[in-house]
Amino acid sequence: MLGLLGMSATIWVRRPTAAPAGEVSAPTHRLDRPLPGLTIGIREDRAWRSWQHIGDVWAAWLDRDGASPRTVETGGQVGVPGSDDRRRIDELAAAVDAAIVGLGTCGSCTTFTVKDAVAVEAAGKPVVAVVCDEFLVHAQNVARHLGHGDLKILALPYPLEARPAADLDDIAAEYYPRVLALLGVTGSPGTAS
Amino acid sequence: MKFASEAVEVAAAPQEFYERTLAERWSDGAPVLPATDEAVAALLAHSPYPADHVVGVLPPINGVATVELVAVNAALAGVEPASFPYVLAALDAIMEPEWNAFGLTTTTSSVCPMLIVNGPGRAAAAIDHRAGCMGGAAGRGSMTIGRAVALCLRNIGGQRAGETTKTVFGQPARAGFCFGEWEERSPWPSLAVRRGFAATDDVVTVHGGKGTFPLADIHNDRADDLLRLIAKSTAFPLSNMYLGNPENGEVVIAFNPMWAERFGAAFPDIADLQAYLHEWAWQPIEVWPDANAAILRDRGRVDAAGRVALVSGPEQFLPIVCGGLGSLHAIVLPSFGESQSQSKVVVRPA
Repeated sequence: MLGLLGMSATIWVRRPTAAPAGEVSAPTHRLDRPLPGLTIGIREDRAWRSWQHIGDVWAAWLDRDGASPRTVETGGQVGVPGSDDRRRIDELAAAVDAAIVGLGTCGSCTTFTVKDAVAVEAAGKPVVAVVCDEFLVHAQNVARHLGHGDLKILALPYPLEARPAADLDDIAAEYYPRVLALLGVTGSPGTAS
Repeated sequence: MKFASEAVEVAAAPQEFYERTLAERWSDGAPVLPATDEAVAALLAHSPYPADHVVGVLPPINGVATVELVAVNAALAGVEPASFPYVLAALDAIMEPEWNAFGLTTTTSSVCPMLIVNGPGRAAAAIDHRAGCMGGAAGRGSMTIGRAVALCLRNIGGQRAGETTKTVFGQPARAGFCFGEWEERSPWPSLAVRRGFAATDDVVTVHGGKGTFPLADIHNDRADDLLRLIAKSTAFPLSNMYLGNPENGEVVIAFNPMWAERFGAAFPDIADLQAYLHEWAWQPIEVWPDANAAILRDRGRVDAAGRVALVSGPEQFLPIVCGGLGSLHAIVLPSFGESQSQSKVVVRPA
């Protein structure tokens, strides 16, 4: 198609981009109960020793505060390890009252942290996805594109790896009340130390 | 023909059009061709599926890849209409769950889809499989099919470095990577035939590869010695395969035809060659510092002799034959690990 006199000629082309999915967000859930008597799942990741440390600290504190922690460790994305992990996440979602799912501190592990958290949320349970702040926007994007844009996400400092255990303990203490608040725990738990 | 995708008026002048594609973020930074209705219709004429057929949903943004939208991106890349079914087959492979597109399109790694083409249509489609097949040979099929797939990931899947994908370095192959196997010079059945396809089928295998890792030797004439060194080279200590699950992922090894001839004489059955590669693809645990070694031990990766195998089984080595006749090179395409390569037959209209 030619433009007006004195203007450049134009043509029509087709836009190659697709609209993102997931503009509608699935419902989220809150405990709205105190911790004692609840079963809280923790999803750890075999890749991240720092998160195993923090997860283990939180599990001990959940136990101290009257809840029953239940930890699963994942490490697969495909194949038999991947399908085994997804099955165990589904079992965790069915067995617990709420779950803490981490850790997103790389691209694909953030994706799978969010996917596993979404599986818990889709099962109707309160859940918090735990990521490092470098990966927060990525986690939010993944959650939105999976149709769970309101998924609760807790951002820990980055990087966690290569920090001494004492630093990780401090981070565990600082963020323990925050993760409980995001789950909707009532009362006054979370005096961490 | 009616189109569902949005029509956009753009300047016809090449430089202005290029600037517009950059502003709209339709390209990978290099120039693209206008996806006019004529260009898109020509591609669709070679699709076995209708324009509104959904090929799948492409992560990270889970954009819906209709055949029409794929054709629009193929038009940008300059895909020859008759080669459009290769693009569709590659995307079909990528969307298989075990390829792990959501993980691979968002990872910090450099991994990307690496397309390996088998079948009688390679030459007509100008898919490079001889000298310079992994870059430099300039076959239209290799350059445009791979790029079309990459543009689909970018424009339909929304894969953008630093935004939706956390890749640290990326790699040149993220602009597209497609080559063929030189089946006529292979002493073994082709990769596709080994996967159950007929030799008369055109097949695209998509491997989640982290890069092109070149090997060279001029000092050894024995096939078994040279293969042992190749196996050792695949088992580099910081391979992804030592991070995750050893049973996941494959290592593609591209042999030049001269080496393939030598290896074929020593190992007429490719299963024996794969077993030999597996036998030698390990490193002694002493290679790793204490912290790494402790984790490898904890995960049961160290055998009684103190060896740490790269992968669980011989079938995870995928030897192929391609490239020029310089008898001193091989290239390894290391795996992301958490990805299983997928092969799909190229379907053409009836």
